[in-house]
Amino acid sequence: MTPPPGPAARPTRDIRVDFLRGLALWFIFITHTPGNLLAHATLRNVAFCDATEVFVLLAGYAAGIAYGRVLERDGWMAAGARLVGRMGTLYVAHIFLFVVFAAQVGFSAAALNQAAYLDELHLDPFGQEPYRALLEALLLRYQPAFLDILPLYIVVMGLFALALPLIRRPAWLLGLSVALYAVTRASGLTLPSWTGGGWFFNPFAWQLLFAIGVVLGRADPVALVRRFPWNRAVAVLAGLLLLACAVALNMVWHGPWLGLAAPEWLAGAIATVDKAGLHPARLASVLLLGWLVAHLIPRQAAWLNHPLPAAFVNMGQQGLAVFCAGIFLSFLGRLALETESGALAQLLVNALGLAALIAVAVVSAWYGGESKRKPQTGLPPAHGVVS
Amino acid sequence: MRVMPRAPWLPLPALAALLAAALAVTPGPALAQAEGPGCGAPAETMEAAPMPGVFAALAHTELRILVVGSASTQGGGTSSQEATWPERLQAILAARIAPVSVQLKVFGGRGTTAADHAKILAEQGPRVRPHLIIWQLGTVEAARGLPMEEMAEVVQAAIARLRAIRGERTDVVLMDPQFSRFLRSNADVEAYRDWLRVSAAASGAQMFSRWVIMRHWVETERLDLERAPRARRLAVADELHDCLAKALTEFILDGALRGRRHQN
Repeated sequence: MTPPPGPAARPTRDIRVDFLRGLALWFIFITHTPGNLLAHATLRNVAFCDATEVFVLLAGYAAGIAYGRVLERDGWMAAGARLVGRMGTLYVAHIFLFVVFAAQVGFSAAALNQAAYLDELHLDPFGQEPYRALLEALLLRYQPAFLDILPLYIVVMGLFALALPLIRRPAWLLGLSVALYAVTRASGLTLPSWTGGGWFFNPFAWQLLFAIGVVLGRADPVALVRRFPWNRAVAVLAGLLLLACAVALNMVWHGPWLGLAAPEWLAGAIATVDKAGLHPARLASVLLLGWLVAHLIPRQAAWLNHPLPAAFVNMGQQGLAVFCAGIFLSFLGRLALETESGALAQLLVNALGLAALIAVAVVSAWYGGESKRKPQTGLPPAHGVVS
Repeated sequence: MRVMPRAPWLPLPALAALLAAALAVTPGPALAQAEGPGCGAPAETMEAAPMPGVFAALAHTELRILVVGSASTQGGGTSSQEATWPERLQAILAARIAPVSVQLKVFGGRGTTAADHAKILAEQGPRVRPHLIIWQLGTVEAARGLPMEEMAEVVQAAIARLRAIRGERTDVVLMDPQFSRFLRSNADVEAYRDWLRVSAAASGAQMFSRWVIMRHWVETERLDLERAPRARRLAVADELHDCLAKALTEFILDGALRGRRHQN
């Protein structure tokens, strides 16, 4: 994030990354609006990974580029301070969204007769001990449903601030990151959550995806292509593997299909793929997809400059503003779908939601939201390829 | 389906009024006669895989059912204990499979989690020796945001233990949360339901999807407890539990019939 304009030493900005990030942000809005029928058309229905993996990987990618430059120009202290400032922004954004969440729950509870049945809904931590819940939320130990990505992001940024000097030595950075991931998965190391168990997304495991993103962002694209070249046979195999995963997942979730029930061992295997600790299958799934997409979409694909893809590129470039707006809008979408969930309501929520996200990105780019700390004025990022 | 009265000679305003009146009539008891079994629950939700345990019990004198779950097994807004879905299931199923009697025992309670239920099953499984276990879970986990992977592990381990003791003589049916717009908005229910389906498939248990059935009733305006006026809440809750029991009866009998075909 916060890409300061670097000298032309670095390659030009890869707008495919911005486009995919915009797409991931849109998916996050959709999947955070329960009852939204479009959620059945997002990545998580066909792959082990979902928009969260894409978001974290690409956040690492952008952070590697942005903070790498600050590090080179101003040193570790300056870059670290900037990262800590960013963490503060993320924290404030998270607490703001938490307040919106609490208000929305209260409103829904009053609007629906939930008091009459579903006795268990009173068991939610906020309903039982609101003051304690507020404190726990400030400590990031209480993360209500759908408010779990920003806390992950904050801690991962903190880890990144510590490891920042290592970005000149990608092998070391990756090695340490893999080691922390392995220790985390082996020992169950996690941050505690108030409601029991660990965090919804264990930052010590998820940092690996971010670190991979950082290394990819720092790498020379030409060298990257040379190291992971296109290979038709591998691509076909990868495609088949992803397809097999999609079929297996859907067979297990949606029961017998054309008279075929998923065998128990298959379901048993899928049951071990956890999200909290970023199971290797999820990691492999997102990296494989990334490799395929990086080769299948040409770097200078003309269609990325058409208005709608360009809007997504813009959304990706204004990451934090669009992410927070997306979560905020998802609360409104929820209220709308709670009241009315017919075809028209679905259409309206999704059309207005996307339009609002695009608008937020446009406004944010216009007043320079994501790049307001730029020491010198850069080109507005909306015009496609920007250095 | 309601047939619109044909009145082509009526003037347009009268026709509009008639149309409005027809639209204003909510599908109520009049529709009940025409609806399918299980209060019109979607047919695929009442299709079960073979239940050899239930089938074997039907050849004898009694069918022992163990119900374990959270609040809805104990009340959940009904007028009395007799109106809850487990008690209604006992009555409705007994009438369908007479002279075989139904012995149904309910365990668990408000706020209990899958881990609590697993303890109960470990204790009561060998004692009750049930032919069928109906395990209702997921609501408390979703409402509290408890770790879903742990819930899935607990379920699989508990069913594996039961299998080790009872083998094919006990069928296990998992029942997911009640549909609620409020729950849907404020908890990540779909993720919990995914994990329940995966755990069922991984342990040879079945899923009875109360969520899908109740959502269907809400969407077709058949039964909507969340929108019921205060004065009608008890009546709607009673009908809801009765209908759930009816749909569950269809599900169990379907499984038992397949259990027979399975054995022949």
